[in-house]
Amino acid sequence: MGHLFSKKKRSSVTEQDRAVLQLKTTRDKIRQYQKRSEALLEKDRELAKKLLLAHKKERAKLLLRKKRFIEDQLQRTDGQLENIERMIQDLEFAQIEIKVVDSLRDGNEALKEVNKLLSIDDIERILEETKEGAEKQEEISALLCGFAAATGLTEDELDAELDALLQQDSSGDKIPELPSVPEEQLPDVPQEEPSAAAAKSRPQKSPQKRTAVEAS
Amino acid sequence: MADFTWPWYYNFPPFFTLQTNSEVRRSQLESWCGLVLRWARHCNVTSIDVASCSSLPVFSNAEVGRALPPEGISVVLHELAKRGNLEWTDKSKTRGQVLWLSTGAWADQLYRWAQATSKVNTVCTLYELTQGDESTDQEFFGLSDDVVLKALRLLESQGKAEVIETPDGTGVKFLQS
Repeated sequence: MGHLFSKKKRSSVTEQDRAVLQLKTTRDKIRQYQKRSEALLEKDRELAKKLLLAHKKERAKLLLRKKRFIEDQLQRTDGQLENIERMIQDLEFAQIEIKVVDSLRDGNEALKEVNKLLSIDDIERILEETKEGAEKQEEISALLCGFAAATGLTEDELDAELDALLQQDSSGDKIPELPSVPEEQLPDVPQEEPSAAAAKSRPQKSPQKRTAVEAS
Repeated sequence: MADFTWPWYYNFPPFFTLQTNSEVRRSQLESWCGLVLRWARHCNVTSIDVASCSSLPVFSNAEVGRALPPEGISVVLHELAKRGNLEWTDKSKTRGQVLWLSTGAWADQLYRWAQATSKVNTVCTLYELTQGDESTDQEFFGLSDDVVLKALRLLESQGKAEVIETPDGTGVKFLQS
């Protein structure tokens, strides 16, 4: 009894899918035919060679005629295959286009819903409230500024105090005087090798006198 | 048959005699099952007929002049069936379908291929799966339609595909999981 009320699972296969499947099945049959024909051509080519070697020219000619006929058929099937492939591509692309249109439609509906939520009157009211809020804030700021002015300090007095501080800083940070750079020339580097005599006059390390040590 | 490397025990005469010791027999059956599956995979054998099994090179070694007797073949095939690597196609258990990979593994491979080649949400024919230009490098290339269909039915039960039956042939639509 339960099966009477059970929901049948909705198929995801559309009519377009069935059409694509039919086209692809036809394409496969053509491909299988082509494979068979190509194998047959190869066999006939080999057989024709053997017949020519066996001097059976007439039978070889017959085979070549058959070969030409099969080749014509293959050429025809190539054209059919191309048409079918194009049709499959068109159908599959059309399905993608349908999805794109559906998505755009859904997006448009969503946008309309959002626009419904935001009416012009609401936006004007919100902006008005924002403006009022800003004005109130300005009033508060003005009041606070007025309180600062009441302390008795004028702008000119503040500027004068600031200048005095800056002058103090500049006088306190004087750089100490540095020693002057010497002006006399440094001696030049000698151009030629030092002479042998000069080398001899250099004190040499005297070799140590070697003394025999008794074995212990 | 070219290129298949037979294991050392294939040339060991006692391997072709069913051993009586239970431990030894278990090990022997393990080796037989592994050999049959590797050989079937290499030679793309997907169905086995019990009657003609004795003539298969896997069950008879001409070099050592030994062959597994019919009762031995029967034991090996039943062991394969028990492991899920063979499914009987008739009630009398005379013909079986060799699954060197489980149906689940084939299903995974097919679905992964569909994702990799952007075939999800499109329709494919069985010929396209097993003989098509886009599946030449796949393990299921040249696989029998029965095994492929079984894997597709499993994908269908998982909601990853829908099999389409038409008078002209069978197809499948891979779905987004």
